[in-house]
Amino acid sequence: MKTIKTLLILFLLSPAITMAQTEKYNLAMGKSLEALKSAGNAEQMLSAGNQFERIANAESKLWQPFYYSAYANIVAGIMTAETAKKDELFDKAIKQVETADKLSVENSEIYALLGYAQFMKMSVDPQSRAMTLIPEASASLEKAKLLDPANPRPWLISGQNTFYTPEAFGGGKQKAKSMLETAKANFDTFSPVDQLAPSWGKERCLELLKQCE
Amino acid sequence: MKTICTLLLLLISVSANSQTKISGAVKTAKGDVVKGANLSIKNSYDGGTADSAGVFRFQTSETGKITLLFSSVGFVEDSVALESDGTEIHLSLILKQKVSELNAVVITAGTFEAGDSKKGVVLSSLDVATTAGAEADVFAALQTLPGTQTSFSENGLFVRGGSAAETKTYFDGLQVKNPFGAQLPDLASRGRFSPFLFKGTTFSSGGYSAQYGQALSSALILESKDLAEKTTSGISLMSAGGGLDHTQRFKNSSLSIGGNYINLKPAFTILKQETQWDKEPEQYGSSFQYKLKTSATGIFKLYSEYSRSEVSLFTDNMNRVNTKDYFSNSNKNLYFNTTYQEFIGNKWKVQGGTSYSNNQDNGFISADLYGRSDKLLQARGTITKFMGALSAIRFGAEANSFTRSESFNLLQRHYTDQYSSAFAEADIYFTQKWVARIGLRSEHSSYLDKFNFAPRTSLSYKTGSYSQVSFAYGRFYQNPEDDYLVQTKILDFERADHYILNYQRIANGRVFRAEGFYKEYDGLVKTVGSGFNNSGSGYARGLDIFWRDKKSVKGADYWISYSFLDTKRDFRNYPAAATPPFAARHTLNIVYKKFIEKISSQIGATYTVASGRTYYNPNSSIFLGNKTKDFQNFSVNVSYLTHVLKQFTVVYFSVNNLPGFKNVYGYDYSENGQRRRSIEPPARRNFFLGMFITIGDDAFVR
Repeated sequence: MKTIKTLLILFLLSPAITMAQTEKYNLAMGKSLEALKSAGNAEQMLSAGNQFERIANAESKLWQPFYYSAYANIVAGIMTAETAKKDELFDKAIKQVETADKLSVENSEIYALLGYAQFMKMSVDPQSRAMTLIPEASASLEKAKLLDPANPRPWLISGQNTFYTPEAFGGGKQKAKSMLETAKANFDTFSPVDQLAPSWGKERCLELLKQCE
Repeated sequence: MKTICTLLLLLISVSANSQTKISGAVKTAKGDVVKGANLSIKNSYDGGTADSAGVFRFQTSETGKITLLFSSVGFVEDSVALESDGTEIHLSLILKQKVSELNAVVITAGTFEAGDSKKGVVLSSLDVATTAGAEADVFAALQTLPGTQTSFSENGLFVRGGSAAETKTYFDGLQVKNPFGAQLPDLASRGRFSPFLFKGTTFSSGGYSAQYGQALSSALILESKDLAEKTTSGISLMSAGGGLDHTQRFKNSSLSIGGNYINLKPAFTILKQETQWDKEPEQYGSSFQYKLKTSATGIFKLYSEYSRSEVSLFTDNMNRVNTKDYFSNSNKNLYFNTTYQEFIGNKWKVQGGTSYSNNQDNGFISADLYGRSDKLLQARGTITKFMGALSAIRFGAEANSFTRSESFNLLQRHYTDQYSSAFAEADIYFTQKWVARIGLRSEHSSYLDKFNFAPRTSLSYKTGSYSQVSFAYGRFYQNPEDDYLVQTKILDFERADHYILNYQRIANGRVFRAEGFYKEYDGLVKTVGSGFNNSGSGYARGLDIFWRDKKSVKGADYWISYSFLDTKRDFRNYPAAATPPFAARHTLNIVYKKFIEKISSQIGATYTVASGRTYYNPNSSIFLGNKTKDFQNFSVNVSYLTHVLKQFTVVYFSVNNLPGFKNVYGYDYSENGQRRRSIEPPARRNFFLGMFITIGDDAFVR
């Protein structure tokens, strides 16, 4: 009788145990997201990326930790001056995005980030990489737009990429502006499905739009 | 109730457990600080990041036996087992650098790699297209690299004292017999292939891999692009003709067709020509490409092209005053190439390919009708086994069937050779600083009825983060030139031994290379009486310097190459060893490119200066004892990027030899030595104007 009782209690308690686990995950992700938001230099970005990576290693079935770690590594790469290091960080980010893609297939956010990483990888050595990586990056971003037309981030990244591409090579502020406006419209109606869903980029979008004027 | 209490207590105790402090530093084996390393406790979120001094500090609530994982970008992840019991742990951790293509030593002796993604890239395919003076001709662009000669009046790449026949071109591993347009009297033709067909170009000025043979001096290895990314159409309008092409992208394949028409008459009418054209060069060409992705890692490629060209001209007859000799050429060229490659697992790679080419030249030399045809059919297979992070073993075989036929009026002659070869090669990385490549190639020619064995080896050592030294030795064989073989089969292979010492430093957008070489020739074909034998020999030694800088001038890119060459050889009909006309002692190239955003244009300039070349003077007692004056060329180009009818357009304008330097390639003497004529380019200056429109993409894709 006592055993049954114990089992019953254990059974009743088990949601609590998993709940505790989810809570722990949410807490750790929340902390890491804060670290990501407050990171102002490459070192802090890398540190935030590391926090997400630790969570990713422990929770190998969830895509968000990989996604955010990749995002932090991309931004850390942008903030890093040394080209060899930049390359390593973008390569790592691309690998993490690919892992995220396996965990959550056909996810617009993941393809948007992949396009971002590919474009930044190109920017390390545009002369020799533009021919192959620009089409790859735009293919990823187009897929992201197709998977979720309401997602503002693929439009933001496309706009940002176009913003920094010289007019002569099919870029320029004017062209970027219309993409950023779509991004802005999407941001205005966008609400993340949960706390951990990607929601970054609105400020950046507004800032770029201002510069387009 | 008691159980519940216990469980609750347990839960509380887990979350309120005492924390173990873990601190320490992460370094490399050499003691260098590793910044930003990630420290984590396995199966937990706990961990920390090493700061800029490599120091870390964090707490974990995990108890008992724990595993600490530590890693950093560019290093191999490692772990250490710890006992967590509340007492502080202090650690000194060492991370090992990851052996990757990015930081490992590479085989560089003799090799210039140009590609879009590979490391150690010296020139990209776009560089080839935008080099002033080259007009998007792969071979002309390569002539700005050290080790090559500026080829004036003869087709081909002349590398380190070697003749044009000593450089072979490979398209996806398969030899291209006729990579150039037809040779005209004292006039070089362009290469047949567009630089935009290729994603990678490896130019070896010596000591190259055992995978390639039949070239005593140099191998040019072209690797074609994979699937086209997008569906696009292109229109080219040029001062010398025009072209149309279309590329269709399907889900797993792409198809391209193109056609062009070239006529140099309008341009030659404007620019005064030294050459007395009867019919200025005119050409029709077409190409077809199909690429199929057979799996995630497999790809099938097919490339074919067909072209026809016509030209005729007059040259002064040196032996009879006021008489002109007529020359005409009609060329038909068919090239077909198909390859397939696939990975089996991630340790094996198989590659196979076949190609067929048929090149026919017909025309008149004065009143005599001549004809010449080259037919080459070949098959090739290679298997690569990858070992460890970087090492690999490669082996393969080739089979070729080649027929040269010649006719002169009613006379005819021809020869057929079944050439086959097998090769094996291993790239062995002892550490990420040491690599050795050991290879062996064996060839058999049915026509010569001879075998050869050619060992090849090279060794590279990384001396610093960005620098390395390499040494290479190799033995190279090739069949005597067709002009001899069509007359006799009692000949042997020609042979060259290469010794190369190379230093290279690539850091932050700057490349410096210095390469010393010694090349020994043996068994070169010589005319003896009315026959031939292999008694010729020779040597070439020198120094090549290359400096490229993309960093110092913002938005600009320049390179400087210098070659010193000391060579003598006794071959063909030479009475004694002499420096051949195709070998200048000093060659200097300065190439400059800059993108100016304000005018949406890329501008380029190339300056070349080469010391004089030897020429044959029948009045001189020393064979090839005279030298022409120095050669100089200054060329410029502008590519203006714009939109025409909303379609992305490049307007290209170039002027070859802008200052109009008078260059003499050599002299033609009359038989009695009384009269001579200088060999000069058809025009002092040359210009080219073109407009390339791409429909369907905001980038230049061809």
